[in-house]
Amino acid sequence: MIEVEGLTVRFGGVTPIDEMTVSFAEGNCGLIGPNGAGKTTFFNVLSGFVKPAAGSISVFGEDLLKMADYRRSRWGLRRTFQQEQAIKSLSVFDNVAMVREHSGGSGGSRRADVLDALDFVGLEIPSRTKVEGLGMRERRLVEVARAVVGKPRVILLDEPGAGLPDEETEHLGSVIRRIPEQLGSLVILVEHDMSLVSACCETTAVLDFGKLIAAGPTADVLRNEHVIRAYLGTEEQL
Amino acid sequence: MLPTLHDVLQFVPLGLAVGAVYGVSGVGIVVLYRTTGVLNFAYGAIGALGVFIAFDLINKTSWCPDWLAYLATVLVGGAIMLAYGLVFGPVFAARDPLVKAAATLGLMLILLAAMSWTWPANEVRAVPLPSDNWHNYGYQIGDIRVSWTKIIALLFALGVTAGTTVFLRYTKLGTAYRAVANDREITATLGVPVRFVEASAWLVSGFVCGASGLLLSGLINSLEAATLTFLVISSLAAALIGRLQSLWVTLFAALVIGVVESCLQAFSLWPTESQPLAQYRAMTPFVIAIVALLVLGRRRELTLSRAAH
Amino acid sequence: MTRIRGFEIERGQAVRAVVIAGLFALALFAVPELIGIYWVKILTAAAIYSVVALGLGLLYGRVGMVSLCQVALLAVGAWTATRLLYGTELPFPIVLLIAGVVTGVIGIVVGLPALRVSGLHLALITLMFAGAITLVLSVIHFPNGGGGFLGQVSLGELQGGFRIIRRPGIATSDPAYYRYTLIVVALMFLLALWQIASKPGRAWAAIRESEPAALAAGVNITQYKLWAFALASFMTGVAGGLLAGNAGALSPVAFPTQDSIVLLAVVLMGGIYSLWGAVVAGLLVRLLPALLENWGVSIYVSLLLFGIGVLQVLATAPGGLADQVPKDLKRLGRLLSHGFGRRADAEGPAA
Repeated sequence: MIEVEGLTVRFGGVTPIDEMTVSFAEGNCGLIGPNGAGKTTFFNVLSGFVKPAAGSISVFGEDLLKMADYRRSRWGLRRTFQQEQAIKSLSVFDNVAMVREHSGGSGGSRRADVLDALDFVGLEIPSRTKVEGLGMRERRLVEVARAVVGKPRVILLDEPGAGLPDEETEHLGSVIRRIPEQLGSLVILVEHDMSLVSACCETTAVLDFGKLIAAGPTADVLRNEHVIRAYLGTEEQL
Repeated sequence: MLPTLHDVLQFVPLGLAVGAVYGVSGVGIVVLYRTTGVLNFAYGAIGALGVFIAFDLINKTSWCPDWLAYLATVLVGGAIMLAYGLVFGPVFAARDPLVKAAATLGLMLILLAAMSWTWPANEVRAVPLPSDNWHNYGYQIGDIRVSWTKIIALLFALGVTAGTTVFLRYTKLGTAYRAVANDREITATLGVPVRFVEASAWLVSGFVCGASGLLLSGLINSLEAATLTFLVISSLAAALIGRLQSLWVTLFAALVIGVVESCLQAFSLWPTESQPLAQYRAMTPFVIAIVALLVLGRRRELTLSRAAH
Repeated sequence: MTRIRGFEIERGQAVRAVVIAGLFALALFAVPELIGIYWVKILTAAAIYSVVALGLGLLYGRVGMVSLCQVALLAVGAWTATRLLYGTELPFPIVLLIAGVVTGVIGIVVGLPALRVSGLHLALITLMFAGAITLVLSVIHFPNGGGGFLGQVSLGELQGGFRIIRRPGIATSDPAYYRYTLIVVALMFLLALWQIASKPGRAWAAIRESEPAALAAGVNITQYKLWAFALASFMTGVAGGLLAGNAGALSPVAFPTQDSIVLLAVVLMGGIYSLWGAVVAGLLVRLLPALLENWGVSIYVSLLLFGIGVLQVLATAPGGLADQVPKDLKRLGRLLSHGFGRRADAEGPAA
């Protein structure tokens, strides 16, 4: 359970997140909203790259904002990035191993954990391949593998489906759906692809201009008129 | 034996003058960096080459009047900078600033080699400036005589800094400079003649470089390839304190460096005669830069950009 | 893939390792027999500088941090070793270790500002440090056998006259010292290789490409950056100790500020991403000028070549010679085999 209370972020005269209060219970939770709504900023706060001006975040009862940024991975927080940040000069194996070795856990099971993660996302290339030469599909899966290796408690997925063709999105969806039951992690999925959100997330929250405008079961949220208006604008604007 | 305040003050005018030249070089470096993204390590070397050429024109030819030799220094500075900018600017345009700066190290080594070879260190050379001998050999302040060269140096630095600030803020070309510095590609699509802006930045920066070289060589009364080349480090220290951004901070830092460095000469008998503080004066730019940076501090900024190579 | 004692090694890697071992054995045993004493000392110096280049390559190529003060740190290591070799009876290897550790600590001090700045600013700060260190050295000079902390007295006061810096008991002659140096250098390269291939290496690769990704993976960036500085400086300090033994006597003019810049130039030319590049860099910076002098060419030509080399490598071949030469050789090989194939075709039907 992640509880966000009155979160506010300000920089350079803008307020990307404005008094955001929301809870993410368990399983796959969607987080949607038009561009610039503050979703990636929210992830950056969770990762520790951005310091909020006000508010608190408690993850499974612990105060997240008090944790040093590099310690959050060890605690069990993982994320993917919109522009993949898989390390090109390292191999697929090393990319995933790096996350695993910096987040605690015994050294003995490291190799097994890495191979399990690669298996989980369905990546079927030799793990010694350098990331440099891989196509977008494989790089995306490496990114997800880095997020699921070990037993993470919270996984933040930032638009993992962006730019992927339909078959890949389906495959991704099936991977994400399996996460809560097979790994026990809480997932927050930021996406623009509503089919992926509907397929994976039981609950969804919606941000617009840094404020929470809806939260609840996904199907209800997607039909909510405020949400639709946020994406499409009002009749006057149309 | 501690020096008296009067002893120390003797060295302030030279310090201000030398600091002023460090400052004007620093300003030239910063403006070039902001506009083209190139931090030019070869700044000192280019100026030095100009002064060597002036030396040859004055002493090895009979037809060249002194003023033409001085002008040649300035023009040579501009020519070399412009040539480098036109040839290598496009080559490195898409690379990150570190690569662009490393390339200028190549230029510096080439110039250093050429100068050391053409003008071997077996001869003592100097290019004295006529302003040393002008009216009364200087201006009298109290019982210190300040040569006109030093006054010119300080005024030159103040003038260039003020002029550049005004130029950047209030003229059309100056705004173009700032636009290019901010984002080259977008500025180009707006119809701003980016190539012209950059070329003019290289040229004018080169003129400033040549003039600085001439003034510096005259002030310290020495013309040696390596010495002049590495005095750029003092200018870089000042530019660094200005965060490669603020012109006035650069100038101010340079003046402080120049004054402290010069005044340390007064400590030639303290704390001991055999190990006086004065022998460490060349460390001034480094110490001030390091201290200033640690004190002023800086929040670590994370960028999601990839390392470009 | 062959399995050797639980490590998976590809056939290609195993072959490469054997070739390298063979070349090393050649350099170790055969080379001193084939060339004169003067050249042995030059090659010793080249090997020493290749370790310094290795440190710089590690910092810049692996972690993305430019240090323009590595030669100044070399001087620090040399100074420390000289003082200990004159002032104490400690065995040579211990002196090397202490020199390495002292230089490593100073390296960490230099690295601390590195945590807050990056790229160009870091290069400039390290240049400032280089200047400061070089200046202090030119004031306090190198120890020459005298007493006191600085160990430097005027030659007239020196008890028993001037002695050259001592060498390890088993390696006092120049060829023997050359072999001793090569072994220590090889150990340094193995140390670097080990670190790059394990946890720090992966963390460094992440830091170089994307600090946010590294952070999100749990890498303590501060710790690993400082470790890189400490390791590179340690190796450079050990190299400094070797240099003291090789030279016999040292003076501050042997470590001018510009050498740190020249080092960056040759490391770029040799190739910052590969360990071979460090070897090439060492040869460039010490062997090339000696060769030129031997052929009657002005030493400034080497400076000129380095300047041109930097521009060329940055513009066209970022991997440097270590990257470019194998590619060129491969291309040459392909051209040759094409040529042979065609000739065989031409001759075939007629035969």
